Amino acid sequence: MTPDHDRVRPDGGIDALDPPPMDVMDEETLKPETLAQNAPRLETVVQLLNHPALARVYVYVCYWGPVAPPEIMETLDLSKSTTYEYVDRLVDLGLVDRDDSTRPQQLTADPIIIVEQYVPIVITPTVLHALALQEIDEDVEYFIDRYGIGKLIAALRGAGLHVAGKTTQRMVANDIDVRETEAMMIIYALKPVLAVGREHDPFFEYLFPDVHDEMDLPDLDENDGAPTPSSDPDR
Amino acid sequence: MGSDAPLSADKDVLVDANIFFAIGHPSNPQYRRFRSAVQNAGVVCKLPRRVIGELGGPETERVRTALDEGWATIIDAPSPTDGDAVAASDIARRTIANETDQAEHEVEKTDAILAGLAIQYVRDRATAGVVVLTDDKPARKGIENAVRAQGYTDAIAVYGLADIIGDDPGDSMRLI
Repeated sequence: MTPDHDRVRPDGGIDALDPPPMDVMDEETLKPETLAQNAPRLETVVQLLNHPALARVYVYVCYWGPVAPPEIMETLDLSKSTTYEYVDRLVDLGLVDRDDSTRPQQLTADPIIIVEQYVPIVITPTVLHALALQEIDEDVEYFIDRYGIGKLIAALRGAGLHVAGKTTQRMVANDIDVRETEAMMIIYALKPVLAVGREHDPFFEYLFPDVHDEMDLPDLDENDGAPTPSSDPDR
Repeated sequence: MGSDAPLSADKDVLVDANIFFAIGHPSNPQYRRFRSAVQNAGVVCKLPRRVIGELGGPETERVRTALDEGWATIIDAPSPTDGDAVAASDIARRTIANETDQAEHEVEKTDAILAGLAIQYVRDRATAGVVVLTDDKPARKGIENAVRAQGYTDAIAVYGLADIIGDDPGDSMRLI
């Protein structure tokens, strides 16, 4: 059977039956113990994808850790109880490590990456950051409501190509099948994701293997290592 | 290309839609900086009708504000029978296709239209020159090539938003 890569749906999925080659799965990959090891990982990613507010805390800890809960509260503008609830959940999911030997406790998080070339799916901290931005950015919220996460990732890739000068915003609109207004809006909304991801996401190149070092983005002031809580959310 | 001050009252300034998306809502510091740069230079930005459409129409807040305050106005697209404008748009389209590795018919019409408009303005109007503002690098290159091919190099300059209001300091962005 010949794969038909032209039939990529606007949401990033593939319309045609396009099964990966049989040999990607073998006895080793399919060992019950291997599958069992992967199960929690799958679950954690599903949790993050379904809970953008949780993903936002995860990305913050991953990018700017080690951090203490009060810092999260202040920078992300969350209540104390919400902050501790999210941190507890992230610790339970194994996404965040809590060091209780200091006061206040220090939190760190390893970056996660899931790449599935046959679907294709790519999930990195940069992608989770884009998703999490819907918590504070109404343009991102609108876009996800209307088009879903798959198309958001497509827009993120388009935004990266645009800031690298490889495409125009109107071409991105055409490529991902949204209105020009929407493409321009989401490209500017996702700019912080690219600027931060380039600095902090060790897997940034998985999403932008071709253009990661060509992007024209503002350099972030990293003196204090974290964004200021008082920034104006309006763009 | 161009002199040190990109905007001046004796030049026509054509503005692409992405500039208005980049500066954001009128409450945004970038919007305020852009507005004062335009007003201080005594310029009225010319927005092609197609661009207004992309921005969501003349009633969209950021457009309405600019129109009401008198530093923006709406202009028509170049006539489809204007040979110079059509030729310039064609060159821009080819350049953009080349820059982006796309077929020419994949290039969006509006991306190429500004080149035609720029040529038309510099040819028909007794102004000191034309300035085009766009945030799209391939489009910018397309206009520059069209201008060079038609011999208007000194009369038309293309700039991005950073040339007008300076580089985005980064700290103005809400990161997360």
